[in-house]
Amino acid sequence: MSISRRGFLGTATLAAGVAAGTGRARAGAGKDRFPGYAGSMGLLHDTTLCVGCRACEIACARENHKPRPTARLGDRSVFGRLRRISDKLYTVVNRYIKARGKKPAVYRKHQCMHCQEPCCASVCFVRAFTKTPEGPVLYDPSVCVGCRYCVNACPYHALAYEYDNPMSPTVQRCTMCYPRIKEGKSPACADACPMGAIVFGKRADLVKLARRRMAKYPGRYVDHLFGEHEYGGTSWLTLAGVSFDKLGLPTGCSHRPLPELTSGFLSIVPLVITIYPGLLLGFYSFTRRKERLAERARVEAAEAARAAAEEAAAARAADQKKLSEARQKKAVDLAVAKALATRDSEEGAGRSGGGEEGRS
Amino acid sequence: MHTLQEFLNHTKGMTYVISALLLLASIGFWLYLTGREGGE
Amino acid sequence: MSEQSHAAPRPLLSPFNVVAALLLLLGGCAAAYRFAAGLGPSTNLDHLNPWGLWIGFDVMTGVALAAGGFTISSAVYLFGMREYQPLVRPAILTGFLGYFLVVVGLLVDLGQPWRLPYPFLVQSGPTSALFEIALCVALYLTTLFVEISPAAFEWLGLKRWRRLVHSMTMALTIFGLILSTMHQSTLGAMYLITPSRLHPLWYSAHIPVHFFVSAVAAGISMVVLESALSHRALSDRVEVSGERLDEMTVGLAKAGAVVLGVYLAIKVVALSLDDEWALLLTPYGHWYLFELLGFVLLPMLGYIVGHRERRPTLIRISAGVTVAGVVLNRLNVSMFAYNWRLPAADRYWPHPYEIAVSVALVTFGVVMFRWIASRMPILSEHPDWRGEH
Repeated sequence: MSISRRGFLGTATLAAGVAAGTGRARAGAGKDRFPGYAGSMGLLHDTTLCVGCRACEIACARENHKPRPTARLGDRSVFGRLRRISDKLYTVVNRYIKARGKKPAVYRKHQCMHCQEPCCASVCFVRAFTKTPEGPVLYDPSVCVGCRYCVNACPYHALAYEYDNPMSPTVQRCTMCYPRIKEGKSPACADACPMGAIVFGKRADLVKLARRRMAKYPGRYVDHLFGEHEYGGTSWLTLAGVSFDKLGLPTGCSHRPLPELTSGFLSIVPLVITIYPGLLLGFYSFTRRKERLAERARVEAAEAARAAAEEAAAARAADQKKLSEARQKKAVDLAVAKALATRDSEEGAGRSGGGEEGRS
Repeated sequence: MHTLQEFLNHTKGMTYVISALLLLASIGFWLYLTGREGGE
Repeated sequence: MSEQSHAAPRPLLSPFNVVAALLLLLGGCAAAYRFAAGLGPSTNLDHLNPWGLWIGFDVMTGVALAAGGFTISSAVYLFGMREYQPLVRPAILTGFLGYFLVVVGLLVDLGQPWRLPYPFLVQSGPTSALFEIALCVALYLTTLFVEISPAAFEWLGLKRWRRLVHSMTMALTIFGLILSTMHQSTLGAMYLITPSRLHPLWYSAHIPVHFFVSAVAAGISMVVLESALSHRALSDRVEVSGERLDEMTVGLAKAGAVVLGVYLAIKVVALSLDDEWALLLTPYGHWYLFELLGFVLLPMLGYIVGHRERRPTLIRISAGVTVAGVVLNRLNVSMFAYNWRLPAADRYWPHPYEIAVSVALVTFGVVMFRWIASRMPILSEHPDWRGEH
């Protein structure tokens, strides 16, 4: 993966999208719109042909520079327990059913299935996984942060992590021998299989081949090709004579790609970003309005109370004034009457003076 | 565009950028809308 | 206030300090060993169980328990429940410390922790639920830091900065609520892609909503607990009277009862939608019922009675049970009910070193809360800014 592919969020894809034109815009989000890469390669594992020699395991270790498995070719002692894929063992052959009478033992080789819509690619937050047009799903260790979400999410338990590497651990898994495919060769395991139980070819051709085998030997195979549709399909296809759940593979899988499950939820996230501001500011305005109305009601009530008090005070003052005026008038009248009486009796000057007095 | 993964990567990435811009825009939107209101 | 604490310093060799120092030392050693020897020798993680206690507890549970910050600040600033104002700062501080510890825990767990900024700086994977969580947690940790900074500004006497941050309260609260809604639910959404690995009783198309609602319940309950504990442990710093705290606790119980009621209801709805009634009769079903009845229904009843009868102690017990229930739920989803199809020998159980680191993180959170709350105006108002919120 080159540096130029990198970029924060949509900036890189934005440019690519503009360059590619608007054709993609018509595509919906469903799997049906994305048929995968035409002519991509795959492998068909026919478990009815596998004899458990483990030549594939040994070839795989050599090809990927891993320590050679301690158990030699053909050593049956390893089948005592179910072995798992690890950072040192990209592929592992297990015996799922022991031989009984004429019925031979059933073995299955396990490794990364190289999904058509890889779960690991979808959960990686640094986009370390890429589905190549050739078929293999590739992993770029140079960006890996080591969250191990890919290891945790893989429905086939097909990824491993370098737990013993303290400073630069990476995810370890089958690469479908991508370098060999680029050279035009078959993956090492397919080359090493002496029984022809692993067939390398175009995935579309392998599906047809498997169908032909199932049609030709109906008693030999169960009527199901594992990997044709499981979670959107895988590049590794598996044929078996017994039910796949007896071979450690999940049955009843959805045909929808797993990434769709996260995608649906992640579509809600931008809705939260865009709806919440309006919604919350609405709530906030509602709260503020209630507070403001309560405040206004309080102010108005206070105002009304003050006005009422003032009015009452004014009325009281007016009453007081009237009362005092009346009292004054009475006093004046009294004084006038007295003066008049005095003048009447004395008959002297000061008539106008008495009037002035009454007016003041 | 061949795989769902490519499509989702493209659309999700763009949508993150667009939603971030819209979120930023909502601040200006609100401030302009309520700019003439007295007080807070 | 600061003179007061100088006058009566806490003894350095108190039992609390000694125990805390021991736990921190143990966890520190375990973390050092993890970086020296790698994840393999220091944990029980393997290729089948790549996520253990450090993700299930430190991250999943840590984020849920730190939900008090956004819950209370939204209630107070957006919905106008001003009477809970005294709870905002301690809740935001708890949230900030919680998220800080989530990041610390994550750094211990990541294979190459120094690459943590890669999704933003080098190459981003927007199809991943984890990308959304990383983005939200980074932004929300920053938001919480800004939200709690006024306490530090008041403490340091930086009035201009205090005023600047205060003017952004509304924007910060809305931003925090958006981010919390998103990443609390997305933590659950991380399990949407693992239908074959997570037990169907816990797996649901609604698991993001389950995570969000239970996080709100955890947030409310954490505020009840944390206010009661700090009221007792840091009584010299607390301004709110015991009666006022009881009053607020009774009010929070109402919210807690409603949220737990909603949570119980949506869990039943999920059972019905996926037709999982028969699974309730299996051993996993019994475990599921134990979680749902013992840690959701029971504390809900406790909250209801506590609210109606005004019994703060019952409410605090219910809060403790709710928090334990959310811890149990996150551990169930991430560990106990995860990979349930694997044979018993292949199942995960935490290594003592993993437990030591997780315990040390919680201890560190408590110590930091105590340290900050006994210095900065968290549980009380700063005299210069009284009544200004």
